[in-house]
Amino acid sequence: MNHDPFHWGRPSTKTYGEYNYLISNASNVDRSVKSNSEFPKMHTQQPMITGTSVIAIKYKDGIIMAADHMGSYGSLMKLEDLKRIIQVGDDAVVGISGDISDFQYLERLLDDLQIEDAYDMDQEHLKANHLSEYLTRVMYNRRTKMNPLWNAIIVAGFDDKDEPYLKHIDLLGVSYTSPTLATGFGNHLAIPLLRKKVETEDDVKKLSKEDAIQTIKDCMKVLFYRDARSWNKYSLCVIEKSTKSISLEHEVQVENMKWDFAQHITGYGVPQL
Amino acid sequence: MFRNNYDNDATTFSPTGRIFQIEYAVEAIKQGSAAVGLVSKNHVVLAALKRNAEELGSYQKKIIRVDNHMGVALAGLAPDARILSNYLRQQAMSSQMVFNRPLNIQKAVNSIADKAQTNTQSAGGRPYGVGLLIAGFDESGPHLFEFLPSGSALEYVATAIGARSQAAKTFFERKFEEFPDASKEQLIEYALTALRDTLAQDKELTSANTTVAVVGKDDAFTVYDDEEVEQWLSLLDTLSNNRSTGADNDDEDDDEDDEQNDQPTEASESTSAAMEVDA
Amino acid sequence: MTSIGTGYDLSNSVFSPDGRNFQVEYASKAVENSGTSLGIKCNDGVVFATEKIITSKLLAPGKNKRIQSIDRHVGVVYSGLIPDGRHFVNRGRDEAQSFKSIYKEPIGLEGLISKLGYYVQAYTCYNSVRPFGINAIVGGVDETGPHLYMVEPSGVYWGYQGTATGKGRQAAKAELEKLDLPNISARDAVKEAARIIHLVHEDNKDKDYELEITWVSTSETDGIHKVVPADLFAEAKKYAEEAEAGSDSDSDSDSDEEMES
Repeated sequence: MNHDPFHWGRPSTKTYGEYNYLISNASNVDRSVKSNSEFPKMHTQQPMITGTSVIAIKYKDGIIMAADHMGSYGSLMKLEDLKRIIQVGDDAVVGISGDISDFQYLERLLDDLQIEDAYDMDQEHLKANHLSEYLTRVMYNRRTKMNPLWNAIIVAGFDDKDEPYLKHIDLLGVSYTSPTLATGFGNHLAIPLLRKKVETEDDVKKLSKEDAIQTIKDCMKVLFYRDARSWNKYSLCVIEKSTKSISLEHEVQVENMKWDFAQHITGYGVPQL
Repeated sequence: MFRNNYDNDATTFSPTGRIFQIEYAVEAIKQGSAAVGLVSKNHVVLAALKRNAEELGSYQKKIIRVDNHMGVALAGLAPDARILSNYLRQQAMSSQMVFNRPLNIQKAVNSIADKAQTNTQSAGGRPYGVGLLIAGFDESGPHLFEFLPSGSALEYVATAIGARSQAAKTFFERKFEEFPDASKEQLIEYALTALRDTLAQDKELTSANTTVAVVGKDDAFTVYDDEEVEQWLSLLDTLSNNRSTGADNDDEDDDEDDEQNDQPTEASESTSAAMEVDA
Repeated sequence: MTSIGTGYDLSNSVFSPDGRNFQVEYASKAVENSGTSLGIKCNDGVVFATEKIITSKLLAPGKNKRIQSIDRHVGVVYSGLIPDGRHFVNRGRDEAQSFKSIYKEPIGLEGLISKLGYYVQAYTCYNSVRPFGINAIVGGVDETGPHLYMVEPSGVYWGYQGTATGKGRQAAKAELEKLDLPNISARDAVKEAARIIHLVHEDNKDKDYELEITWVSTSETDGIHKVVPADLFAEAKKYAEEAEAGSDSDSDSDSDEEMES
């Protein structure tokens, strides 16, 4: 089997002859084109400026969520003050990773939604579960058009019964929940650490707010150590059921780092001593 | 009859700023049999009188379920009501699909009111010829709205539309302070009493011609017809138009479908109130 | 109205021999008999108020809101045919949304009212439609400060420091002229609005009314159009009733000293 993802599911040239791009409507990768009109219709194939992980954990009285302030253009640090957790109304926050222009588009969609919701100036507002359903529909709708919004989203807040609510939505329009959630690299680096604290829904009741915040902070540190597209400043969101409050703090600094091992690193990209 | 020059279409104002075609459309509601509705703290009840065109014919459906939490009662042109309730159903499903929440009742009512308004401002169509009572229960509690072809949609604690509905309104005006604390059963009893007041003298409420619907905090919108409605009819001590209260009411004009002129309150104003500016 | 009945008033978009457009004038008649609405421009915002005539005691009290928002920073109140007003507001919302989707910032008041003026005017140009049966008072706060306008069925609009429409418009305008506009504070404007609505309702006293007041102000609401808070509303109502009691004891009912406080 060819392990290059771009060749998955493609008939082998040996058996079927040259791949016919004109009838396949498939990716243009490794194709030698003569003219643009021969090109299959193309939508976003990769994100441009990207935000990395968003992580979240449930604790006994709510949810803690964090996402750093960096926007990367490939390996270039394009933005260093990008706030990727946004408050939507009184009852929800949305943390978004992936393509930043798509994030900004979603931000505007949510803003329009807020304005429409407030037209009648009454007390009723969109809750976190309504927003996550909406975003799931938006994401699914776009992927069905073969033109996905290149993001992974975590919605957190209070649902229509005022209970803490947490959901992950991806660019395919798939949504799921869990006591610990992460997007992107966080799935590999942070989730194992978060699950050490909260493995099941039952463990949630045992985790205090202070513990939960510390866990998230530790994860942000590990992410900064190991994810080359992460940064040491981040947004930290604390959702608390007992006070029914959502507090969103920006410019939180990664703390207690140890870099003394760095001098022992040798190899590619490191000046040889 | 004096020919009114200003009543040919819904796009002509009279010199006094009235639009007769809209008022006539509101009048069409009175051609239909009565429907009543009222609200307590936890429930909304609709009740309506069904007609059959002939002895062997079936009875006209008067209450339409829209979603688990809302439904409408109609008076006037039933086909128009089907268009509007179908539109409401689409809105309700879209709300469930997109936001996973039941359609807000005020928003639902506004959506058909705005739809109706467009028919009153351009030629080539006609205003809707149906009045609706919209009953629903949402996050902010129970609601009862009256929709009119003018595009007006107002929230009431209790109201009635259709033939001789003024009699029901008179009853409601006397009793409405008791409604908020009424139980579901009491509310239905009030509704049926009001509905009975709209009957022509030789008519009575039967399980065949009466339809009742309830929606509430823990009650999905349910319509009761035929044998199912008997449990509610049994709440009344008499089913005939033999009013237990206010025996001085208007019994002479039962052949007229119009409002009774001897009703003291607002009967003559109801037409203009429908359009009314302020309502 | 000498030309009534000569046929020139039967269709929209038709001029009479003396150059009048009767259908537009008749549309204004729909406004003149309805409940009073007013708008006041204050030092950092706009206040809207309306007198909702209670046509039936079965109407749900405190519901059936009549003042609407076009965008976060724009409020509207109107007198006339209420369904027409809703149509007008929906158009305003569409305009505000489309502006925002293009320019990614909230629409300015001047731009919005211009668009709405065009829209209302278009309904006087064709015999397939009828004019709007409303006078709409539109106001809000944008980058350049507070703004207040009123659009009429002809599509004409003017900017105002304070304006009123509906049945009690003349008395209300007389009262507004006595205020030091636009220099009063938003809180004072709310109280004056309550007083004026209460005052002009005198002529219509056989019917009950419900008062509705909203405001948009830089200092008080952060530039967002909102219903006034319950305590201020109660204060304003009390002020209105006291002003009435005060003027009753006076022989002259409209002395303007008492409203200075």
